Amino acid sequence: MDTAARKEVFRYLFGKVVDPLGYKFTPDEELVDMLLEAEVKTELDTGAPYCPCQRRTKVRAEDMKIVCPCIPFHRRHFDAMRRCWCGLFVHKDVTDPSVLPQIPEDEI
Amino acid sequence: MSQDVVVYALSTCPWCKRAREWFTAQQVACEFINIDELPDQEGDAAADKAHELSGSHAFPVVVIDGSVVVGFRPERYADLLGIK
Amino acid sequence: MSESPWVATLEEVKLQEGLPTPINPKGVGLLLIKTDGAIYAVRNRCAHMGCPLEGGKLEGFVLTCPCHDWRFDIRSGAFLDAKELSIGTYRVKRKEGKVLVELPEAAS
Repeated sequence: MDTAARKEVFRYLFGKVVDPLGYKFTPDEELVDMLLEAEVKTELDTGAPYCPCQRRTKVRAEDMKIVCPCIPFHRRHFDAMRRCWCGLFVHKDVTDPSVLPQIPEDEI
Repeated sequence: MSQDVVVYALSTCPWCKRAREWFTAQQVACEFINIDELPDQEGDAAADKAHELSGSHAFPVVVIDGSVVVGFRPERYADLLGIK
Repeated sequence: MSESPWVATLEEVKLQEGLPTPINPKGVGLLLIKTDGAIYAVRNRCAHMGCPLEGGKLEGFVLTCPCHDWRFDIRSGAFLDAKELSIGTYRVKRKEGKVLVELPEAAS
Protein backbone atom coordinates (compact mmCIF):
# COMPACT_ATOMS: atom_id res chain seq x y z
CA MET A 1 0.00 0.00 0.00
CA ASP A 2 1.41 3.40 -0.86
CA THR A 3 2.02 6.11 1.71
CA ALA A 4 -0.90 8.32 0.67
CA ALA A 5 -3.35 5.44 0.92
CA ARG A 6 -2.03 4.32 4.30
CA LYS A 7 -2.29 7.89 5.59
CA GLU A 8 -5.95 7.90 4.61
CA VAL A 9 -6.45 4.60 6.44
CA PHE A 10 -4.87 6.11 9.56
CA ARG A 11 -7.13 9.15 9.28
CA TYR A 12 -10.16 6.90 9.18
CA LEU A 13 -9.12 4.48 11.94
CA PHE A 14 -7.67 7.08 14.31
CA GLY A 15 -10.59 9.43 13.80
CA LYS A 16 -12.93 6.70 15.04
CA VAL A 17 -10.78 6.13 18.13
CA VAL A 18 -10.25 9.73 19.20
CA ASP A 19 -13.77 11.05 18.59
CA PRO A 20 -15.38 9.29 21.59
CA LEU A 21 -12.43 10.44 23.71
CA GLY A 22 -13.28 14.09 22.98
CA TYR A 23 -10.45 14.72 20.51
CA LYS A 24 -10.17 15.54 16.81
CA PHE A 25 -7.36 15.90 14.30
CA THR A 26 -5.63 19.24 14.72
CA PRO A 27 -6.93 21.90 12.30
CA ASP A 28 -3.27 22.44 11.32
CA GLU A 29 -3.47 20.33 8.16
CA GLU A 30 0.21 20.69 7.35
CA LEU A 31 1.10 19.25 10.75
CA VAL A 32 -1.39 16.38 10.31
CA ASP A 33 0.20 15.55 6.99
CA MET A 34 3.76 15.56 8.37
CA LEU A 35 2.88 13.48 11.41
CA LEU A 36 0.86 10.88 9.49
CA GLU A 37 3.65 10.62 6.93
CA ALA A 38 6.13 9.96 9.75
CA GLU A 39 3.82 7.36 11.28
CA VAL A 40 3.39 5.50 7.99
CA LYS A 41 7.15 5.35 7.64
CA THR A 42 7.58 4.22 11.24
CA GLU A 43 4.98 1.51 10.78
CA LEU A 44 6.84 0.28 7.70
CA ASP A 45 10.15 0.25 9.58
CA THR A 46 9.00 -1.11 12.94
CA GLY A 47 5.55 -2.64 12.50
CA ALA A 48 3.61 0.00 14.45
CA PRO A 49 2.75 3.70 14.01
CA TYR A 50 4.55 4.98 17.08
CA CYS A 51 4.32 8.61 18.16
CA PRO A 52 6.77 10.66 16.05
CA CYS A 53 7.79 12.70 19.12
CA GLN A 54 8.34 9.95 21.69
CA ARG A 55 11.22 7.52 21.81
CA ARG A 56 10.74 3.76 21.91
CA THR A 57 12.30 1.93 24.87
CA LYS A 58 12.60 -1.66 23.62
CA VAL A 59 10.25 -2.68 26.45
CA ARG A 60 7.08 -3.79 24.69
CA ALA A 61 4.70 -2.90 27.51
CA GLU A 62 6.05 0.65 27.49
CA ASP A 63 6.29 1.00 23.73
CA MET A 64 2.69 -0.08 23.14
CA LYS A 65 1.62 2.97 25.16
CA ILE A 66 3.03 5.28 22.49
CA VAL A 67 1.35 3.66 19.49
CA CYS A 68 -0.89 6.25 17.89
CA PRO A 69 -3.46 7.30 19.03
CA CYS A 70 -1.82 7.00 22.46
CA ILE A 71 -4.38 9.23 24.21
CA PRO A 72 -5.90 6.43 26.36
CA PHE A 73 -2.54 5.82 28.03
CA HIS A 74 -1.76 9.50 28.73
CA ARG A 75 -5.23 10.83 29.37
CA ARG A 76 -4.56 13.08 32.36
CA HIS A 77 -1.49 14.60 30.75
CA PHE A 78 -3.07 15.20 27.34
CA ASP A 79 -6.39 16.42 28.76
CA ALA A 80 -4.45 19.03 30.73
CA MET A 81 -2.62 20.18 27.55
CA ARG A 82 -5.80 19.85 25.47
CA ARG A 83 -3.63 18.17 22.85
CA CYS A 84 -1.57 15.03 22.53
CA TRP A 85 2.21 15.28 22.79
CA CYS A 86 2.95 15.41 19.05
CA GLY A 87 -0.08 17.60 18.41
CA LEU A 88 -1.81 15.31 15.93
CA PHE A 89 -4.94 15.47 18.08
CA VAL A 90 -6.48 18.33 20.03
CA HIS A 91 -9.58 18.67 22.16
CA LYS A 92 -12.68 19.12 20.01
CA ASP A 93 -13.23 22.71 21.12
CA VAL A 94 -9.75 23.85 20.04
CA THR A 95 -9.76 26.16 17.01
CA ASP A 96 -6.23 27.57 17.29
CA PRO A 97 -3.76 24.81 18.17
CA SER A 98 -0.82 27.23 18.04
CA VAL A 99 -1.73 28.50 21.52
CA LEU A 100 -1.35 25.05 23.09
CA PRO A 101 2.20 24.49 24.31
CA GLN A 102 3.83 21.16 25.01
CA ILE A 103 3.97 20.71 28.79
CA PRO A 104 5.92 17.76 30.15
CA GLU A 105 3.93 15.33 32.27
CA ASP A 106 5.81 16.12 35.48
CA GLU A 107 4.73 19.79 35.22
CA ILE A 108 1.03 18.94 34.98
CA MET B 1 28.78 35.35 26.19
CA SER B 2 27.87 32.23 24.25
CA GLN B 3 25.71 29.59 25.84
CA ASP B 4 25.95 25.86 25.68
CA VAL B 5 22.79 24.61 23.96
CA VAL B 6 22.05 20.98 23.07
CA VAL B 7 18.85 19.81 21.41
CA TYR B 8 18.08 16.09 21.58
CA ALA B 9 15.62 15.37 18.80
CA LEU B 10 13.81 12.74 16.74
CA SER B 11 13.93 13.18 12.97
CA THR B 12 10.21 12.34 12.79
CA CYS B 13 9.17 15.09 15.20
CA PRO B 14 8.10 18.48 13.77
CA TRP B 15 8.46 20.17 17.20
CA CYS B 16 12.13 19.19 17.29
CA LYS B 17 12.59 20.88 13.90
CA ARG B 18 10.80 23.96 15.16
CA ALA B 19 13.12 24.11 18.17
CA ARG B 20 16.12 24.01 15.86
CA GLU B 21 14.61 26.71 13.65
CA TRP B 22 13.92 28.86 16.70
CA PHE B 23 17.55 28.75 17.86
CA THR B 24 18.72 29.45 14.32
CA ALA B 25 16.40 32.45 14.08
CA GLN B 26 17.80 33.73 17.40
CA GLN B 27 21.30 33.21 16.04
CA VAL B 28 22.08 30.92 18.96
CA ALA B 29 24.42 28.09 18.06
CA CYS B 30 23.19 24.72 19.21
CA GLU B 31 24.29 21.14 18.99
CA PHE B 32 21.37 19.35 17.35
CA ILE B 33 21.27 15.58 17.80
CA ASN B 34 18.74 13.51 15.85
CA ILE B 35 19.09 10.40 17.97
CA ASP B 36 17.20 8.12 15.58
CA GLU B 37 19.64 8.93 12.80
CA LEU B 38 22.72 7.97 14.79
CA PRO B 39 24.26 4.50 14.51
CA ASP B 40 22.49 2.06 16.88
CA GLN B 41 24.81 2.22 19.90
CA GLU B 42 25.37 5.94 19.66
CA GLY B 43 21.63 6.52 19.25
CA ASP B 44 20.87 4.39 22.30
CA ALA B 45 23.48 6.25 24.33
CA ALA B 46 22.06 9.64 23.29
CA ALA B 47 18.52 8.43 24.03
CA ASP B 48 19.61 7.21 27.46
CA LYS B 49 21.25 10.57 28.10
CA ALA B 50 18.09 12.45 27.05
CA HIS B 51 16.00 10.18 29.27
CA GLU B 52 18.30 10.73 32.20
CA LEU B 53 18.01 14.49 31.72
CA SER B 54 14.28 14.68 31.05
CA GLY B 55 12.87 11.76 33.02
CA SER B 56 10.65 10.96 30.07
CA HIS B 57 10.70 9.62 26.53
CA ALA B 58 9.21 12.78 25.05
CA PHE B 59 11.11 14.97 22.60
CA PRO B 60 12.58 17.52 22.01
CA VAL B 61 14.80 17.66 25.07
CA VAL B 62 16.61 21.00 25.14
CA VAL B 63 19.53 21.65 27.47
CA ILE B 64 20.59 25.28 27.95
CA ASP B 65 23.62 25.72 30.19
CA GLY B 66 22.62 22.63 32.13
CA SER B 67 18.92 23.52 32.48
CA VAL B 68 16.57 21.03 30.86
CA VAL B 69 13.41 21.99 28.96
CA VAL B 70 11.20 19.21 27.59
CA GLY B 71 9.09 20.18 24.60
CA PHE B 72 9.02 23.06 22.12
CA ARG B 73 8.77 26.00 24.54
CA PRO B 74 10.34 29.14 23.05
CA GLU B 75 9.41 31.31 26.04
CA ARG B 76 11.36 28.98 28.36
CA TYR B 77 14.32 28.92 25.98
CA ALA B 78 14.29 32.73 25.82
CA ASP B 79 14.18 33.02 29.61
CA LEU B 80 17.15 30.74 30.03
CA LEU B 81 19.09 32.54 27.32
CA GLY B 82 18.23 35.92 28.77
CA ILE B 83 16.58 36.97 25.51
CA LYS B 84 13.80 39.53 25.93
CA MET C 1 -42.72 -12.13 10.47
CA SER C 2 -39.14 -11.07 11.02
CA GLU C 3 -36.36 -13.63 10.99
CA SER C 4 -35.01 -14.82 14.34
CA PRO C 5 -31.83 -12.98 15.27
CA TRP C 6 -30.40 -16.17 16.80
CA VAL C 7 -27.90 -17.87 14.53
CA ALA C 8 -26.59 -21.38 15.13
CA THR C 9 -22.80 -21.55 14.95
CA LEU C 10 -20.45 -24.23 16.25
CA GLU C 11 -21.13 -27.29 18.32
CA GLU C 12 -20.16 -26.47 21.86
CA VAL C 13 -17.82 -29.48 22.06
CA LYS C 14 -15.65 -27.79 19.45
CA LEU C 15 -14.91 -24.87 21.77
CA GLN C 16 -11.80 -25.27 23.82
CA GLU C 17 -11.79 -23.64 27.26
CA GLY C 18 -9.87 -20.36 27.12
CA LEU C 19 -9.14 -20.52 23.40
CA PRO C 20 -10.85 -17.77 21.36
CA THR C 21 -12.36 -19.36 18.26
CA PRO C 22 -13.13 -17.29 15.15
CA ILE C 23 -16.52 -17.73 13.46
CA ASN C 24 -18.28 -15.85 10.67
CA PRO C 25 -22.05 -16.11 11.06
CA LYS C 26 -23.76 -14.11 8.30
CA GLY C 27 -20.37 -12.77 7.35
CA VAL C 28 -19.81 -11.07 10.69
CA GLY C 29 -16.38 -11.83 12.14
CA LEU C 30 -16.79 -12.92 15.76
CA LEU C 31 -14.85 -14.77 18.39
CA LEU C 32 -16.44 -17.36 20.60
CA ILE C 33 -14.72 -17.70 23.93
CA LYS C 34 -15.52 -20.35 26.50
CA THR C 35 -14.18 -19.59 29.90
CA ASP C 36 -15.18 -20.55 33.39
CA GLY C 37 -18.13 -22.52 32.02
CA ALA C 38 -19.70 -19.56 30.18
CA ILE C 39 -19.50 -18.70 26.49
CA TYR C 40 -18.96 -15.16 25.25
CA ALA C 41 -19.13 -13.75 21.73
CA VAL C 42 -17.22 -10.61 20.78
CA ARG C 43 -16.38 -8.84 17.55
CA ASN C 44 -13.14 -10.20 16.12
CA ARG C 45 -11.81 -6.74 15.38
CA CYS C 46 -9.80 -4.48 17.63
CA ALA C 47 -11.27 -1.03 18.35
CA HIS C 48 -7.83 0.46 17.68
CA MET C 49 -6.74 -0.43 14.15
CA GLY C 50 -9.11 -3.24 13.29
CA CYS C 51 -6.66 -6.10 13.89
CA PRO C 52 -8.25 -9.53 14.26
CA LEU C 53 -8.29 -10.39 17.96
CA GLU C 54 -7.86 -14.11 17.41
CA GLY C 55 -4.43 -15.16 18.58
CA GLY C 56 -4.72 -12.60 21.35
CA LYS C 57 -3.90 -13.66 24.87
CA LEU C 58 -6.80 -14.39 27.22
CA GLU C 59 -6.26 -13.92 30.94
CA GLY C 60 -9.38 -14.29 33.02
CA PHE C 61 -11.92 -12.20 31.12
CA VAL C 62 -9.32 -9.93 29.54
CA LEU C 63 -8.43 -10.41 25.88
CA THR C 64 -5.28 -8.64 24.67
CA CYS C 65 -5.01 -7.74 20.99
CA PRO C 66 -1.93 -9.35 19.41
CA CYS C 67 -1.13 -6.21 17.36
CA HIS C 68 -0.66 -3.42 19.93
CA ASP C 69 -1.81 -4.98 23.21
CA TRP C 70 -5.12 -3.15 23.58
CA ARG C 71 -7.06 -4.98 26.31
CA PHE C 72 -10.77 -5.73 26.35
CA ASP C 73 -13.14 -7.31 28.86
CA ILE C 74 -14.90 -10.05 26.92
CA ARG C 75 -18.00 -9.79 29.13
CA SER C 76 -18.78 -6.17 28.31
CA GLY C 77 -16.47 -5.49 25.36
CA ALA C 78 -15.00 -2.56 27.30
CA PHE C 79 -11.51 -1.31 26.47
CA LEU C 80 -9.71 -1.30 29.80
CA ASP C 81 -7.77 1.94 29.25
CA ALA C 82 -10.67 4.18 28.12
CA LYS C 83 -14.27 3.50 29.04
CA GLU C 84 -15.51 5.28 25.89
CA LEU C 85 -14.12 2.59 23.59
CA SER C 86 -15.22 -1.02 23.21
CA ILE C 87 -15.63 -3.97 20.92
CA GLY C 88 -19.07 -5.36 20.13
CA THR C 89 -20.44 -8.16 22.28
CA TYR C 90 -23.24 -10.52 21.35
CA ARG C 91 -25.63 -12.59 23.42
CA VAL C 92 -25.03 -16.32 23.38
CA LYS C 93 -27.22 -19.31 24.22
CA ARG C 94 -26.83 -23.03 23.95
CA LYS C 95 -29.36 -25.22 22.16
CA GLU C 96 -29.08 -28.93 21.44
CA GLY C 97 -25.33 -28.88 21.74
CA LYS C 98 -24.95 -25.88 19.47
CA VAL C 99 -23.84 -22.40 20.31
CA LEU C 100 -26.32 -19.75 19.14
CA VAL C 101 -25.36 -16.11 18.78
CA GLU C 102 -27.82 -13.24 18.64
CA LEU C 103 -27.05 -11.15 15.59
CA PRO C 104 -29.35 -8.17 15.29
CA GLU C 105 -29.57 -6.95 11.68
CA ALA C 106 -27.50 -3.91 12.48
CA ALA C 107 -24.56 -6.12 13.41
CA SER C 108 -23.55 -6.86 9.85
